[in-house]
Amino acid sequence: MILLEETFIEIECCQRIKTGESVCGDDFRSIRLDDESRCISVLSDGLGSGIKDSLMASMTTSMVLRFVSRDMEIIPSAEIIMDTLPVCEVRKISYATFTVADILANDRVRIIEMDNPPYIHLRDGEDVQWEKQTVFSAAWPDRKLNLSKFKAVPGDRIIFFSDGVTQAGLGHSIAKFGWKRQGCLEFVQNIIKREPNISARDLSHSIVAQACTKNPGFSCIDDISCTVIYFRKPRHIRLLTGPPFRNDKDRDFAKTVLDFNGRSVICGGTTAGIVGRELNREVRTDLRLRGGGLPPISTMKGIDLVTEGILTLTETDRQLELDNRQQSAPLAAAKLIELLQESDVIEFIAGTRVNEAHQDPSLPVDLEIRRNIIKRLKTVLENKYMKKVTIKYY
Amino acid sequence: MTKKKVKVEICVGTTCFLLGASKLQEMERFLPPDLTGRVEVQGTACLGCCRNDNFGSAPFVKVDDTDVIANATLEKVINRVRRSLNL
Ligand code: FES
Repeated sequence: MILLEETFIEIECCQRIKTGESVCGDDFRSIRLDDESRCISVLSDGLGSGIKDSLMASMTTSMVLRFVSRDMEIIPSAEIIMDTLPVCEVRKISYATFTVADILANDRVRIIEMDNPPYIHLRDGEDVQWEKQTVFSAAWPDRKLNLSKFKAVPGDRIIFFSDGVTQAGLGHSIAKFGWKRQGCLEFVQNIIKREPNISARDLSHSIVAQACTKNPGFSCIDDISCTVIYFRKPRHIRLLTGPPFRNDKDRDFAKTVLDFNGRSVICGGTTAGIVGRELNREVRTDLRLRGGGLPPISTMKGIDLVTEGILTLTETDRQLELDNRQQSAPLAAAKLIELLQESDVIEFIAGTRVNEAHQDPSLPVDLEIRRNIIKRLKTVLENKYMKKVTIKYY
Repeated sequence: MTKKKVKVEICVGTTCFLLGASKLQEMERFLPPDLTGRVEVQGTACLGCCRNDNFGSAPFVKVDDTDVIANATLEKVINRVRRSLNL
């Protein structure tokens, strides 16, 4: 995810592997060129499936990313790609198709498509069809490239997929001719009507899941990939943790949860107590909301989540750093992770008063000081989850 | 007439949680039969006692809004509840 000026661009690709194969024959890659406020995403589909196809697809995405980021001419770039890839014996065309979304500063978008199903650009629920310029190389006249350009506005979504989506169900009774672009479009329009703010992640997952339902036994008769790019206003979250170093700052500290356009979280019982006292709000700890070895969750009016501090933050950081995170984080950490993942801009408001009791040698675990955990969280959220994170100490 | 209930607040702050409150929070399941329905078990954030040497050591449990039990165990809490109920 990246933040380009005031629009936040969320990019997600959901993929499922063809039933019976062990690798995905579609490849998706996205890079951000920070100094240029530019982001390039490529989805490529090799012909067929399995390891060979997977290699072709990943060669294609790497080449495309390189050429596009260096602003090379399109036709010569496409020629290099097609000359490099082997040619399919039967179909006499080279082994890959692709869609590139090149998002430049000010939300200017350039889409280049080569034989993937045509992309969808949704604006206010409508399928905007931009004029496309078709070009091709003299050496490969069968391979047409379609180019389109437009300026995105907040709320826009760009959706593109491999033919595993459009051809879902092909030849089977429910959707004899496949789901097609039209079927997918109607499905997406319906979802957006119900859930106008659905994230790119949820939408791409829903599309892929729906494509599978068209196939017999919900299987994947081909690799299925769907990329969703969502231009939206950034979602903010503010997380208060730790009592302020000086007591006379309690009031200012507590007031940071007021007049804030976003979600707020408090991690720390003492912290919650301070906010509750200063704002005259009751903190309730519900013992039913415990689980997974972390202290239970509490509730306070106007606050989206109230948890214990150090243990919960430490576990949250541990989970976020795991490469293959299972869905089994303890309740408080799971809730916190969900909120953080759904946000784009995260502000930590960290009180720095140290709780001496945490240094007690009889404690069965070593408790880290809050500042260090917050710094680690910042690093992982920025580097792995592409969030914009700030820390303010009190 | 409904019988009197004793309020038991278990501190689930970081220190207490690590030193035994994680077990104590399950106490409702371990109450002897004569006490079932007579105890109202709640959680509470750090009571502040863990930072004060005068209180003894964690975990802390508060009973009847007034009395804080240090080094709390299931047994100690049950005895204290019995005392409140004159059992
Ligand atoms: S954590 Fe229980 S009294 Fe501080």
